[in-house]
Amino acid sequence: MRIYNRYLLFLVLVSCLIDILLAFTHQTDIAVYFTVSVIAYLIITILFIYFSPKTRKALSLVSVIFLAGFMVVVVLKVMEVLGFK
Amino acid sequence: MTNNPYRLLGIGLTFAGAIFVPVAYFVINSIPLTAIGLSSIMIGFTSITLATARPQISPEASQMILETGMENIAALLEELGLTRKAIYLPSSMRTGNAQALIPLGEGIDVQRIKGKIPRRLIVRYGDNPGDMAIAVTAPGGTNLNKMEIKPGPTSGEIEQAINYVLTGMLDLANSVEVRISEKQLYIEVIGPRLHYENVWYYRCMGSPIASIVASIASDGIGKPVTITEENYQNGKSVIQLEVLG
Repeated sequence: MRIYNRYLLFLVLVSCLIDILLAFTHQTDIAVYFTVSVIAYLIITILFIYFSPKTRKALSLVSVIFLAGFMVVVVLKVMEVLGFK
Repeated sequence: MTNNPYRLLGIGLTFAGAIFVPVAYFVINSIPLTAIGLSSIMIGFTSITLATARPQISPEASQMILETGMENIAALLEELGLTRKAIYLPSSMRTGNAQALIPLGEGIDVQRIKGKIPRRLIVRYGDNPGDMAIAVTAPGGTNLNKMEIKPGPTSGEIEQAINYVLTGMLDLANSVEVRISEKQLYIEVIGPRLHYENVWYYRCMGSPIASIVASIASDGIGKPVTITEENYQNGKSVIQLEVLG
């Protein structure tokens, strides 16, 4: 199996697994689903070290976008805890 | 552009996810289903990114260019009647891209190779008048310059470097395993996309995959290597290299 297909398949399997596990634990906060998925995404992307430099550069850009979304969620949660919301 | 399967998959997943997320959140009122929609968008974006990172040139065009290059070298080898195995040189013994030496006369005694081999077709590698050889750029040799870290001499480092080039950069195999035993290297290329053929060019230079493997191994070990054996069985290529000198 080609490395790109393996990477996509791995992402799909892990995403499904995360969603199923969190659903079984009766998690009802969408932010939790999103943050766990982003963390898993970043870990899997780092683990696929054999991508060409061009691919890694492109995936880094997507990772930065997801990380920005992750940071927004974290900041909103912190504001909520501190009572700003 | 549009028939790239990764782009099609990415657009499909992103579009489906973008429709499904509001439906799952506001209409069905299900957080797990909304999360699935979000995952679909994330994977869709990733797939689109993979599509943009793929080379614009089609695999058919790449194969045509590779075959043309090989045919030219094969014609040269056949015309000169060269049958000896090529010797792949490390970067310390060559100038520029990965080079393979094919002796014009008797086999090459690597101890006689003096200095760096120049970037010419016909080269003199020693002091004797008969120390002449054909120097050709090994297939995939230009890729070695794009490697961020030069391979080291251990089997792990060579395996990592070959995996990086064959599976990551060129997408020519699924994975690679390397074993070193004294002066021999055993390399298993799992799921190779180019196979060995019993033609003049391959008998002399090895298959393109074996050439790339030999170039990287030679660079890692820092000594010349030659391809002694190459077999294809059970979905994997088994390449045996001998370290010279």
